[in-house]
Amino acid sequence: MIAPLTYVVVALACLLLVTSAYYAWRDRLIDDLLLGLAGLVEIGLLVLLVLGLAGLDHIDDSTEKATFAAYLVSLPLIPIGTSLLAIKEKSRWAMGSMAVGAFAVAVMALRLQQIWNSNG
Amino acid sequence: MAEGDRRALGGPGVVLVVLYGVLALAATGRSVLQITSYYDRAPLAYTLSALAAAVYILATWCLARGGKWVRVGKWACTVELVGVLVVGTASYLVPDAFPDKTVWSHFGQGYGFVPLVLPVLGLLWFRKVERDATAAEDAEAPAA
Repeated sequence: MIAPLTYVVVALACLLLVTSAYYAWRDRLIDDLLLGLAGLVEIGLLVLLVLGLAGLDHIDDSTEKATFAAYLVSLPLIPIGTSLLAIKEKSRWAMGSMAVGAFAVAVMALRLQQIWNSNG
Repeated sequence: MAEGDRRALGGPGVVLVVLYGVLALAATGRSVLQITSYYDRAPLAYTLSALAAAVYILATWCLARGGKWVRVGKWACTVELVGVLVVGTASYLVPDAFPDKTVWSHFGQGYGFVPLVLPVLGLLWFRKVERDATAAEDAEAPAA
């Protein structure tokens, strides 16, 4: 059962998406609030990684299993990458890239759930 | 500004770095698993997939570093553009060789056509970076 957590992660990622887009629009830089949000998304993704890997046998098809595992491992790298970039590069564009990253997280997490659901 | 300081990072370049980074991640993860778990199913498609992943990593690096990497980055983007066009066409002509979705097959349909758009954006961005650098050099050089 990973569905509830997936949806929490997707909701948080959407919140991060909206907030960072707002920051980009208002030309604000990364602050504790945004970093905290990204941190929450990150924690969710790490728990999802552990749960997903533990339940990997749930997925029968080898192709789908591979995609699922690849997404699981890739996902937690995104918020870390965009946050580091935003801290290093202080511009509104960095906020835009956090929004892009958050969007990618939301899409990939939904795709993850889709694969999970299609198996059993 | 230092002479010929072709900084790629900064401004819209940051967004491109993230887009490329995500694509590089997705392509690498998938291709590593494809090659290690069931390479025999479609050797050609998976080899191309790994090549694509490597080029995306290279392009991400070039975008992030700028400077002398701008030239390399232009080549990387060109390879990507040619790759997605050739493999995209081939995957429609010879579907049997491409049973699974890879970044380049079907013009990157499995990735929301991002692989088709990204090299063009990358090339445009690299061109802008080069132009700005040239302009900066011209401005620094004394008129007489």
